[in-house]
Amino acid sequence: MLDVKQMSRAVIVGHKSIFEETVDALHKANLFQIEDFNEDGSGLHIGRPFEKIDEVSKKLIKIRSIASLLGVKDVESKRKDAESSVLSNLDATLDKLDAELDVKTEQKSKLEAELKELDSLKKELLPFANISLDLDLYRGYEHLAVFAGNVKEDVGDAVSKITSAYEMFYDAKEGTVVLFVSKDKATEVADVLAGSGYRELRIPAASGVPSESLKGVISKESGLQEQIESIDAEIESLKDKYADFILASNEILSMEAQKSEAPLRVATSDSTFMIDGWVPAEDFSELERIVKEATNGRAFVSKQEMTKADEKIVPIEYNNSKIASPFQEIMDLYARPVYKELDPTFLIFISFPLFYGMILGDIGYALILLAMALGIKKMISSEAIKPLMNILIYCQISTLIFGVLYGEFLGFSLASLHTEHETISGLIPGFETINLFASPVGDEMITFPIHRTHLVMTMIIATALIGFIHINIGYLLGFINENKKHGMSAAIFEKGSWFVIEIGLLIAVLGYVAVLPSIATIAGVVVFLIGFVMLLKGEGIKGPIELPSLLSNSLSYTRIIAVGLSSIYIASTVNLIAFEMIWEPGTPVGVATIGAIIVFLFGHSLNTVLSIIAPGLHSLRLQYVEFFGKFYEGGGRKYDPFGYIRKYTEE
Amino acid sequence: MVTEAVTTMDPAGLKAIGAGLAVGLTGIASALAEKDIGSAAIGAMAENESLFGKGLILTVIPETIVIFGLVVALLIR
Repeated sequence: MLDVKQMSRAVIVGHKSIFEETVDALHKANLFQIEDFNEDGSGLHIGRPFEKIDEVSKKLIKIRSIASLLGVKDVESKRKDAESSVLSNLDATLDKLDAELDVKTEQKSKLEAELKELDSLKKELLPFANISLDLDLYRGYEHLAVFAGNVKEDVGDAVSKITSAYEMFYDAKEGTVVLFVSKDKATEVADVLAGSGYRELRIPAASGVPSESLKGVISKESGLQEQIESIDAEIESLKDKYADFILASNEILSMEAQKSEAPLRVATSDSTFMIDGWVPAEDFSELERIVKEATNGRAFVSKQEMTKADEKIVPIEYNNSKIASPFQEIMDLYARPVYKELDPTFLIFISFPLFYGMILGDIGYALILLAMALGIKKMISSEAIKPLMNILIYCQISTLIFGVLYGEFLGFSLASLHTEHETISGLIPGFETINLFASPVGDEMITFPIHRTHLVMTMIIATALIGFIHINIGYLLGFINENKKHGMSAAIFEKGSWFVIEIGLLIAVLGYVAVLPSIATIAGVVVFLIGFVMLLKGEGIKGPIELPSLLSNSLSYTRIIAVGLSSIYIASTVNLIAFEMIWEPGTPVGVATIGAIIVFLFGHSLNTVLSIIAPGLHSLRLQYVEFFGKFYEGGGRKYDPFGYIRKYTEE
Repeated sequence: MVTEAVTTMDPAGLKAIGAGLAVGLTGIASALAEKDIGSAAIGAMAENESLFGKGLILTVIPETIVIFGLVVALLIR
């Protein structure tokens, strides 16, 4: 339960004539992780890819470029095609699709080029739109100079001072001027124009009145747009028609490519191959059987002795029950365990939702978040989201249990509570708080349901104690890990010393407060010193430096009550603003009621979001920092067997 | 006769101020510590996404300061 899967190192050896069959069988089995071979001067060489790789990769590039052009997304496919049927018409369909797509894209780019030309013509025409002069009249004069351009002001007066023989069209709105003067006055006129900020415009290469041509251009443009849209629609229909084919053939070709490239990771000699790698110990006989069957017993599978160096590179596969497996995500977020280390996933499965529930502990939020998590899980069938939603569901179940224990619903108290100073009425009429027994600290009374706001001292002590227990479980796991890795004496000095120190402190304190006879104080100090020396021997100077962490780590668990209280206060403040300040139940219903409901909904949706983040992060941190710090190293490599999990095809 | 107005401060008020200071100042302290770690952690994550877990842990380490502040505020109350 707390161990990762046992792995075996296996070597498969055979003649090159059965290389492809062996690789095929391994790929299909999806069990064996190939350890890449590095040439080391032993006379063995890295293998050469199988011959079909050229063809396969060519097709793969084609299909992937088509997929990205059409925007085919990796979605959950409803149907699975048989591999043989996809393969049989892969070439024909691929060529057909390629040809069809080529025609369409060519048409589209042609239309787009035309559209671009029209657009630039439109831009040229626009300044002349309000000048109703045929464009043919702009050119072809022998004795006239034509100025067409932008000016900042009307230049009519200035030009008339130079010559009376001119013809001018001026559009004040666009600032466009078209001026015809005789050529001998052209330089003078040009100077005048330059003074008015004249910028020459290109005369559009069209004929007819500009406004008319502009209309023609615009209508042509919209016609082209429509054509492009219809081609887009055709491409879209191609996508719908071929999406399944593209996904399926991409999958098959990817698998083929993976297989064809496998020799690049394998040691070969002139006539033999040697595949080195890892297989889960329980599957070794299965691997042996598969290889034997595929090669008629001509390839040999042998188990290798695992060396110390091997232990560092063993790929790690979790070995958890299905219920606890979502929490592997939390482990991966930190680091995978190494081979000779306990896998704490199962403990996280208990303590993470436990702390989360203790922090949040509210029936209302638990139900809202539970519904949300179930909904998301049902709607989104993504493999990445699923474990996270499962974790959220576990957490909400725990929250629900603590919600009943605390008697809280969206910040309201379910039971009514009578204290010396005040009476807090509950949400359920007639549900009275029951006094159970007096708390040993803070002059407080333990009740059912537990009113956290009235039991602050008790809860602080209780959470610190829970922390102390959690940390000690960590030391215990550390002891086991150390024993596995470096032997018993290292375990006793490094981790066992902490227990000795704790016992010493406990005896000393009990002696000091006169629970035990006063001699116990001295005995406790002696035990503590023994533990201290052991720690110094085990951990070196680092040990004593970490000694105060025993206190600070335990106190860190008081966040369970502190963060919980802040969540209650936010919720009850929202309730206070909505149902006391804005509108009080019992008073006439009016606009204020709507206001109250809006504040209530808004406030609680905000707090719902906070209810995922705050307890989640704090609970996670307690695992990662306080708990893992005591025993966990991590840094293992993921077990990633040679093979492929089919999504769109089947054999 | 001259009467002197005697003003006394309600101890509850002082308690509230003390609690406020405990949460507020530790909050600022946590924020100052976390801002540096957070930006460094994001920088590291941009280089290597698998550092998310470690980055998160390092970022929330100073959070303990404000939690202690909150606990002290609750004790003062």
